[in-house]
Amino acid sequence: MRCDDARVAASLRADDELDGAPTRADLDAHLATCAGCRSFEDALRGLRSQLRVEPVGRVPDVAPAVTARLRDGDRSGQATGRRPRPPARRRPLAVAAALAALAGATAGATFVGLGTEPRAPAAADVPALVMAAQHDIRTLEARYAVTEVAVEGVRGPGAAATRTFVADLTYRAPETLGLRVQETTAGRPDVERAAGELIVDGDRWWEATTRQCSPAAGVARCPDEARTWSRSVAGREPFATAAPVPVDLVSPVGSFALAADPPPLGERDLAGHRTLGVAVTAAQVAPILDGLSAAVELRPVHPTDPVELWLDAEHLVPLALVVRAADGPERSRWATATGASERAGDVILRLEATTARINGPVDRDAVTVPDREPSSSVDGGFRPTAGDDDPVVAGVPVPTALPEGFEPHRSGTVAAPGGPAVGVRSWSDGRAWLTVRATTEWPGGRLFGDLGPDVRPVDLGAAGVGYASADGSRIALHAADLDAVVSGSLPPDDLRAVAAGLDLVGVAVPDHWAEAATATVAEAAAALPGLLTARSADGFGAPAVRADGETVTQAHAGPGQRGFTLTQRRAAVLPPPATGDEAGVEVRGTAGRYSRERGELEWVEQGVTVSLRSHSLGLGELLAIAERLEPA
Amino acid sequence: MHETDPALVRAAAAGDLRAFEQIVRDHQQPVWRFLRRMLGDGTAAEDVAQETFLRVYRRLPGFGFESKLSTWIFQVARNAGIDELRARERQARLIGAVSPPPRSASGPGEARVEIDQALATLPVDQREALLLVEVLGLRYAEAATVLGAPVGTVKSRVFTARSRLAAWASADDGPSVDRRTPGREVTGEV
Repeated sequence: MRCDDARVAASLRADDELDGAPTRADLDAHLATCAGCRSFEDALRGLRSQLRVEPVGRVPDVAPAVTARLRDGDRSGQATGRRPRPPARRRPLAVAAALAALAGATAGATFVGLGTEPRAPAAADVPALVMAAQHDIRTLEARYAVTEVAVEGVRGPGAAATRTFVADLTYRAPETLGLRVQETTAGRPDVERAAGELIVDGDRWWEATTRQCSPAAGVARCPDEARTWSRSVAGREPFATAAPVPVDLVSPVGSFALAADPPPLGERDLAGHRTLGVAVTAAQVAPILDGLSAAVELRPVHPTDPVELWLDAEHLVPLALVVRAADGPERSRWATATGASERAGDVILRLEATTARINGPVDRDAVTVPDREPSSSVDGGFRPTAGDDDPVVAGVPVPTALPEGFEPHRSGTVAAPGGPAVGVRSWSDGRAWLTVRATTEWPGGRLFGDLGPDVRPVDLGAAGVGYASADGSRIALHAADLDAVVSGSLPPDDLRAVAAGLDLVGVAVPDHWAEAATATVAEAAAALPGLLTARSADGFGAPAVRADGETVTQAHAGPGQRGFTLTQRRAAVLPPPATGDEAGVEVRGTAGRYSRERGELEWVEQGVTVSLRSHSLGLGELLAIAERLEPA
Repeated sequence: MHETDPALVRAAAAGDLRAFEQIVRDHQQPVWRFLRRMLGDGTAAEDVAQETFLRVYRRLPGFGFESKLSTWIFQVARNAGIDELRARERQARLIGAVSPPPRSASGPGEARVEIDQALATLPVDQREALLLVEVLGLRYAEAATVLGAPVGTVKSRVFTARSRLAAWASADDGPSVDRRTPGREVTGEV
């Protein structure tokens, strides 16, 4: 095939219009041997990402102006043939964006959906597909090529402009995983450069990193102890978050559990797999990027950076990911501060599978924790038990309604010196997992189960009241003689059904516990009449609400690291600027201010000061959320 | 976007402004995004989007459901966009100034200055074909209906437009676009 024909075919395939000759296979065969055409296809994808991005909140609503002009009898010169008079400009959002820009803080950009039906119907419901597919993933063996544009501030002056790695991932459900990353030079693994490995096998966890090292003058190479560092955890609890398994590399549940439908980017073939592309942000895929960084330190990316993510069409395994630099002064300032020099739209990090085998046999050696002595080691305190022999484990309630397909996994006890004796049971189905932890010795003061500061009460029916973490991944129950917490990779509603079937009756926490100020939206609205809520913000979970006197805080978690906090306080004036970087913005038709440093947008409305705060959303998304706030 | 309920279209055609307002709200987002890329200017796109929907209202009684309503609205939007570009050309000739390429969205804080400048260097027929397919996600056949051109023409215009933009994207010193436009960074503080 000639390059000219291949490029026409690539353009057609990008639009899903390639039917007949040449075929996809003809094109792939040509691309495999032609770097020029591969980079042409890459450029097409880059253009698509750029053209489909718009600053959030920029799309104006012309309906009021149009209908007003029609009511005024302006039929656009129907009778006289003259051009219409200049329209009255009603565009609060555009004004807000312009003011924000003048203030040096432009609206962030995000992807907007396509105007017509999605091309690939299967891409329409990616979040639900990801949640469902995790049950059918037993093993994964994959190799990825990783390219990053280096950041001078991180690597030091004179560092290579780009670094390339090869990453090997081996996974066996539910919590056995090996990840090895090695920097390459001219396409070959280079043992003198950065490398890392992470190996987890049930209760054993091992991590080792090799740093690139500049030997001192007169020394041929760095001593090994200066270059490699390792640590290990034994006695690891089932699915412990303190010694995590980066399972989002296998199935990106954390990136899609609370997500709205992402805009589709079409389909493409990758490493022998049909994949679906979606447009997301770096904050949303943070669990995937963090998983990769578990083995080798990668460059920082900005939370608002647009990301193309390509998922295996059947199992929704991430097979490629391209991070580009987002646009705008906010992002530019961040780049300057971190020493990065990329321009908006530049690819800064790329991961692409070169081979991937799902549910095939895996190499046992790849997931065997080495017997080498680590630089440091920790005992997680977990002791496995068989069956219900141990009274502590026997006291852990078993859900009456386990989701279909879940089988018992590890169970045992955990005890920290001086801490309560905790029993743990776990179940799994493919990559999906579920744990119940319980103790009769909880000292109180706050909820058992590390739910974080923001929780929301959930009605568990006959099981009384429970408390859910803001992201819905944990539900705690405080019962008369037992404190328990359910956690897992299930959708929040399914997890709630499991908690409701624990044969416990949860009660409200005592007044002196940290979560006592937790409220429902209705209770908070009674405390602060006119309370605004963000219930129409798509792609975020229900709020965790706190009502402290006349201050109401609503924390919304989203997929990955996305999330924001809405705080309202009865006070007619804003407090004095806290960080000094506040800039004026127009928000909801009034003058407000925005602090980049705090990621906080503040204004006064109806005698109440309102604050929207986020470290993962840019000003543009905050303004869009602000515009859509509505009374409880 | 769902296909618009014919009853809603008929009500709007009969003069029901609330029904028409619903139609505007259902279609204005893609219309504005298309026009914004075509004109390189969000404010002009808003004005032309208003003009588009005024024309749509006027012509709605003649809409015969031969195509999807959205396709037909895109047709009207595309024609309104072309009228705007011609008006600009006329104005530039009147002023006698050296005609710059269509105003680019280089106002403070406007996102995507670079891609908009690159788009502005494309001939209008290539630009509009690319935008219908790329920004609105239309099938080639649908874009052909909007443009009143054969599918093969759409295919070749889209490809040519993409090739030019790809060359621009991969060249640091693109043929006609200075990617390092000075002064596009906004640094003022209040």
